[in-house]
Amino acid sequence: MNKTITLWTRLLLTASVLLSAIGMASPAAAASGEETFKKKCGACHSIGGGKLTGPDLKGVTERRTEAWILQFVKSPQKMADSGDAAAKALLAEFGFPMPDQDVTDADIKAILAYIAGGGGGGGGGAAAPAAPAAPPSAADIELGAKLFQGLVRFEKSGPACNSCHHVKNDAVIGGGVLARELTTVFTRMGAPGTSAIIGQPPFPVMEAAYKGRDLSPAEVKALVAFLQDVAAKEAMQTPVDYGNNLLIGGTGLFLVLACLYGLIWRRRKQLPVNHAVFERQVKSQ
Amino acid sequence: MDASNLFLFVGLPYIAFAIFLVGTIYRYRATGFKVSSLSSQFLEGRALFWASVPFHFGILVVFLGHLTAFLIPSGILAWNSNPVRLLVLQVTAFAFGISVLVGLVGLIYRRLTNPRVKMVTNNMDIVIELMLLVQTGAGLYIGYAHRWGASWFAADLSPYLWSIFLFRPEATAVAAMPFAIKLHIVNAFLIIAVFPFTRLVHILVAPFHYISRPYQRVIWNWDRNLVRNPASAWTETRPRNN
Repeated sequence: MNKTITLWTRLLLTASVLLSAIGMASPAAAASGEETFKKKCGACHSIGGGKLTGPDLKGVTERRTEAWILQFVKSPQKMADSGDAAAKALLAEFGFPMPDQDVTDADIKAILAYIAGGGGGGGGGAAAPAAPAAPPSAADIELGAKLFQGLVRFEKSGPACNSCHHVKNDAVIGGGVLARELTTVFTRMGAPGTSAIIGQPPFPVMEAAYKGRDLSPAEVKALVAFLQDVAAKEAMQTPVDYGNNLLIGGTGLFLVLACLYGLIWRRRKQLPVNHAVFERQVKSQ
Repeated sequence: MDASNLFLFVGLPYIAFAIFLVGTIYRYRATGFKVSSLSSQFLEGRALFWASVPFHFGILVVFLGHLTAFLIPSGILAWNSNPVRLLVLQVTAFAFGISVLVGLVGLIYRRLTNPRVKMVTNNMDIVIELMLLVQTGAGLYIGYAHRWGASWFAADLSPYLWSIFLFRPEATAVAAMPFAIKLHIVNAFLIIAVFPFTRLVHILVAPFHYISRPYQRVIWNWDRNLVRNPASAWTETRPRNN
């Protein structure tokens, strides 16, 4: 017994040392307001450059209190749900909630200081590629469709868009349903918003997936062209339900597997060798 | 990232792996002969076949699939870059997932209803079967409702798992995943943590050498007809060791 206790004590000690080591390593060094703004906000917000996907943030500290901003940035949807009038108005104006941001109060204050300092002029995302002229070229649409489902890989081998995103379009197979459906994204966000998000994803899951695998401006341009085409042709598609096909296909293949199991072991012993003994015992009880 | 996510996706994996390692080594050293999964094939065989075989082949393929996506995510992404190959992979994985579920439900049913199997069942057998049921249910739901898992696993979860193993935990993306995926991940860590205390330890002592070992012939060095004849004296084959 003594031996067991020492062992568990040691185990707990090791675990706690490990955990504290991790705890010390995790807090990232506070980034400057400018860096964080470009990384997290620039895809959708400008500073004095007009409305993009989200509102222009010039003078935001005059319009809202700091406490309101601190609460809003971390979870806009929760704030709208709680009945905050300003958050609800923003949701109504832009049509979709801003994603929750994984930032600290200090980060937000640094960003606000950067915004108050004028944000270095125009604003917008870091090197957001130019929007394609409407209508997009057929070559771009085709390349975009291939990039979207992976037939042409991204230069830095990032995952294809359809890993997580679905679009209603017959040119590509049904996409994933981990993230938002993108059929009408172009209508909602326009070329600047769409290309800014693709070039500099502000969502944690997408950011991690493309870490160190940024898309090139040409790739972003082709994808935006494809998404514009998808939004325009939405009504003309006859989409296939991939979810149910997966269910039916999977079940069918399982039945084949079950037959295989039966066939491979068709000469198996059906009953335990001592089945007769067991039966006798049950009867005699 | 808030404290609960930090605990579930950074703290818990390390606690789980620590318990797994120390617990398994301790169990093997303390009661080495009990590192196995007590077979109940002698007690019941017919239902066992239709539960154990689908379960084991299913879980082998599903587990190796997860392992491949963890070890060579770029290979999986390259394979999935062709939509037809992606569909083939997903449907196959889903079929083996169903195989796991059907087998597991069969095993649980058999364990709870067969009086002879009940006699050799301990509490941890039930606990681990229920944990596996949650895991399989969540896995199939994810496969259906959050497709295409093979691709986003390679893109998001493989880097997360590597970050854990390389002691540079980075769980922001996982913390933002849908509930079913978080459940699948947390339950996986819990299964790893209880592993040493359950019949799952048989995974570590699977007799893989049976595959390559020469087959064994069993030879009786006596006349079988003579032995079976009740009239013959049994000194013929009298055992010498008892």
